[in-house]
Amino acid sequence: MSSATTGKPFFLWRHLNKLRWLTLTLVFATLLLLPALHLYQTYVAAHAYDLLAPDEQRFYDTMEALSAPFTNDPAKDLDAVKGTTWSANLFGLKLSDPLAALGQAAAGHTLYLPFLLTALIPVLLTLVLGRVFCGWICPATFVYELNTNFSVWLRRLGLKTGTRRFDRRIKYAALGVGLLLSAAAGAVLVAGVYPPAIVGREAYYAIAQGGLGAGSVFFVGTLLFDLLVARRGFCRYVCPGGALYSLLGRFRLVRIRRLVENCNDCAKCNAVCEFALDPLHDGFGQECNNCAACIAVCPTEAMTFTLRLADIPPQGPGHLGHQYRKQHSGDNARHQQAVA
Amino acid sequence: MRRRQFLEALAVSAAAAVVPGGTRAAAAHASLRYLRPPGALAAADFAATCIHCGQCGEICPNRCIRYFGLENGLASTDTPFIIPRDKGCILCMKCGQVCPSGAIQPVAHTAEAILDHVNMGRAVVDRSLCLSYQGKSCGVCYRACPLQDIAITVGMMEQPHVTERCVGCGLCERSCIQMPQAIRIIPDYS
Repeated sequence: MSSATTGKPFFLWRHLNKLRWLTLTLVFATLLLLPALHLYQTYVAAHAYDLLAPDEQRFYDTMEALSAPFTNDPAKDLDAVKGTTWSANLFGLKLSDPLAALGQAAAGHTLYLPFLLTALIPVLLTLVLGRVFCGWICPATFVYELNTNFSVWLRRLGLKTGTRRFDRRIKYAALGVGLLLSAAAGAVLVAGVYPPAIVGREAYYAIAQGGLGAGSVFFVGTLLFDLLVARRGFCRYVCPGGALYSLLGRFRLVRIRRLVENCNDCAKCNAVCEFALDPLHDGFGQECNNCAACIAVCPTEAMTFTLRLADIPPQGPGHLGHQYRKQHSGDNARHQQAVA
Repeated sequence: MRRRQFLEALAVSAAAAVVPGGTRAAAAHASLRYLRPPGALAAADFAATCIHCGQCGEICPNRCIRYFGLENGLASTDTPFIIPRDKGCILCMKCGQVCPSGAIQPVAHTAEAILDHVNMGRAVVDRSLCLSYQGKSCGVCYRACPLQDIAITVGMMEQPHVTERCVGCGLCERSCIQMPQAIRIIPDYS
């Protein structure tokens, strides 16, 4: 971390965005693989190979080839990993989204400790790393960022896409409304409007339950909203889980900062930021998800990670930019005179 | 102005929460006869506890656990159910083990634990439909029962008699060769 304090960016941090895409892809692929493995398990449990249709037999063979190196008893051993990012069971360790824990507490008006504990590790990670779930893990982010790229293509073709902006605090109201409605209905309703929960569930429905469920309609609606109304609009303005992660990550230790001496005010960071934050003027705030897109896009290596409990106060224009040079040209002339 | 919008949103949400929701009704349609997975809490507690994660279905080796769309009310969306005529529960008890939320309580995979803690419903025989009561010895439901001679016994002509200890897994209803079925599970959501 010495490079963070001396101000010279660590060279690998430029490549973190690629690592982020890798994790997003892996999480998404896992959400497709797990239901497929489940389907395979049910075939194994039923000893049904000879009764399967030819394409189902091909599926069985593929899954068998995939899992054979890791297990001798797929019907039993593959139970070790189940679930989605909403709630998962990893080799006996149960992990849940903090919103699931909060939703259950609201719906039942009680605190059920065994379930709350499953959200402990995600909460602790969020307290230290900030809203990283949104940027690095969320399976909906994978789709939403591709959707953003798709809208860029559409714009290149001359089509108009949504560029509206709303108040980012709407999502905190959405979190409150979601929890209040859950409490009123006596059911965890937030699960139905939370894209990562929907994506995991719908992947399972589509692969193992024979068809998409009601949530897919909602998810497609959010994609259209992002495309036609506001770029990445659902995450920016509506997502209740994003709101919860933002609140938890407010005093995160790991955050991105701008190195003012390297910055040339090109504003690419602001353009690339999916959450409409203001890295150019040191405006990261609690909603930054440490996705590192601004670090990757910065041409002068002026963005870097740092360990601080608060953002650096605005540092003014970047030292490589026109504005700074204009402000300090008088100083420079005087300095050169003095040297002469 | 922004603060006002925020406060308005809050006020609307509070109003919506006070209004008694149509979502509260658990079984919106009397005709919809479904079971909750074995070990599930009572209806209201189950609705308030289940987080709609889908892991019970994802671990079910029999694929009998399915998920509601909107047909049983908004609050039931994405919650698990079993239609015994389509596929009964084989009482493997994996769903209770994997359930993180406590909506399905873990029950050991032993006959004693299942008899003590599982109460999905109870089978009821319609004697006017049952072949054995019509003089054609059948006994398929008896043979399908995982708790033979405890939950179900047979008399003369293999006429089935369901006992108080039936846990309502639904394998008898699934296997009944009559159409419509002569034995069916009456769900118990308490």
